[in-house]
Amino acid sequence: MSRNAVAASVIAALAVLCAAAPAAAHHSFAAEFDINQPIQLSGEVIRMEFTNPHSWIYLRVTTDSGEVQEWAIEGGAPNALIRRGWNRNSLPAGTPVTVLGYRSKDGALRASGASVTLPDGSSLNVSSTGVGAPSAE
Amino acid sequence: MVRRMRYGLPLAAVFGLTVAAAALSTAVAQERERPERIAGKPNLNGIWQALNTAHWNLEGHSAEAIESLWQLGALGAIPAGQSVVVGGTIPYKPEALAKRDENRAGWPAADPEAKCYMPGIPRATYMPYPFQIVQGEGDVILFAYEFANANRPVYMNPEDHVIAPVDLWMGWSNGRWDGDTLVIEVNSNIDQTWLDRAGNYHSSAMAVTERYTLLDENIMQYEATIDDPEVFTRPWTIRMPLYRRVEDNARLLEFNCVEFAEELLYGELMTREPIASAE
Repeated sequence: MSRNAVAASVIAALAVLCAAAPAAAHHSFAAEFDINQPIQLSGEVIRMEFTNPHSWIYLRVTTDSGEVQEWAIEGGAPNALIRRGWNRNSLPAGTPVTVLGYRSKDGALRASGASVTLPDGSSLNVSSTGVGAPSAE
Repeated sequence: MVRRMRYGLPLAAVFGLTVAAAALSTAVAQERERPERIAGKPNLNGIWQALNTAHWNLEGHSAEAIESLWQLGALGAIPAGQSVVVGGTIPYKPEALAKRDENRAGWPAADPEAKCYMPGIPRATYMPYPFQIVQGEGDVILFAYEFANANRPVYMNPEDHVIAPVDLWMGWSNGRWDGDTLVIEVNSNIDQTWLDRAGNYHSSAMAVTERYTLLDENIMQYEATIDDPEVFTRPWTIRMPLYRRVEDNARLLEFNCVEFAEELLYGELMTREPIASAE
């Protein structure tokens, strides 16, 4: 077989293997976030996006040293969040919240969210499902 | 694996429904006349398409070139068109015009249509591609659009007349009959869709009320009233005829445009290295 044909058939074989293994189809929590780096962030909601595969909460956090940071908190898919009581009015821009989550392994200002505590003290579960993320409950 | 569109029906279900409807309508045309009414209501089943330049610009416009597409010559030019807006112009709040102009300046890259995003209502109705209405006696009338396989169920049962918990690209459609007119109220419209290629836009506060009325067997009157107090000074209405695609083989074809948008969306992330050597 020519080198082209060998390369092509190897790629085809790999493609079949990937398609047959659904676990490889979506990144896992452990691949991106560190369960040994839990974090608590208090800040103001910039905006929340209900998108698939993950919703996102953008948070403005002022550190102890006075630096203003913009964090991206990854949450569950809209279907999962809606079933837990989330809707478009849950986190209006400007709401002061405390987020519990797990830091991104690459050190970026990103975390996988577990729970969000609102000004009235109630908390909402924002964790992702099906990727091995620890649940807030 | 069931592929799902954002907030839409599973692809297999839509495709199955569309194929079934196309097969059924062809069979009906050959064997007997199309029933005029279904469960006492006008029969809107079929493939429909707008025939105007509303997809370029809802307001009246002269022909003009697209500067960035000069290599296409006249092929890359926008034709002239008359306004489909009742009253002529869109009643923007003065401070909201800046965003429309910003959208216009960012076109085509800024246009969600260029990224093959679902067009939303009402834009999906007057895109230059056919759409299909699938109407039975049940609680849902399905509108399936050729562009990007967009579709939306219209909930005819008042028990399903809700406001969706989050904003959706194709909105949430609550339908009812007003005599022989199908009235659809669309809520929960995400603010990421545009109204045309001219940068006309809306906020997530927009509610759309559509009215579909058969004028004769092959022409439908379409009206859509846009009520968005954050962007416009008052509700305003567009009106246009929709024409039935009467060819014997009329059907929706696939326009899976995501692959055409990949360079636009991810070009800067893509490596230029070939996976396999060409030796």
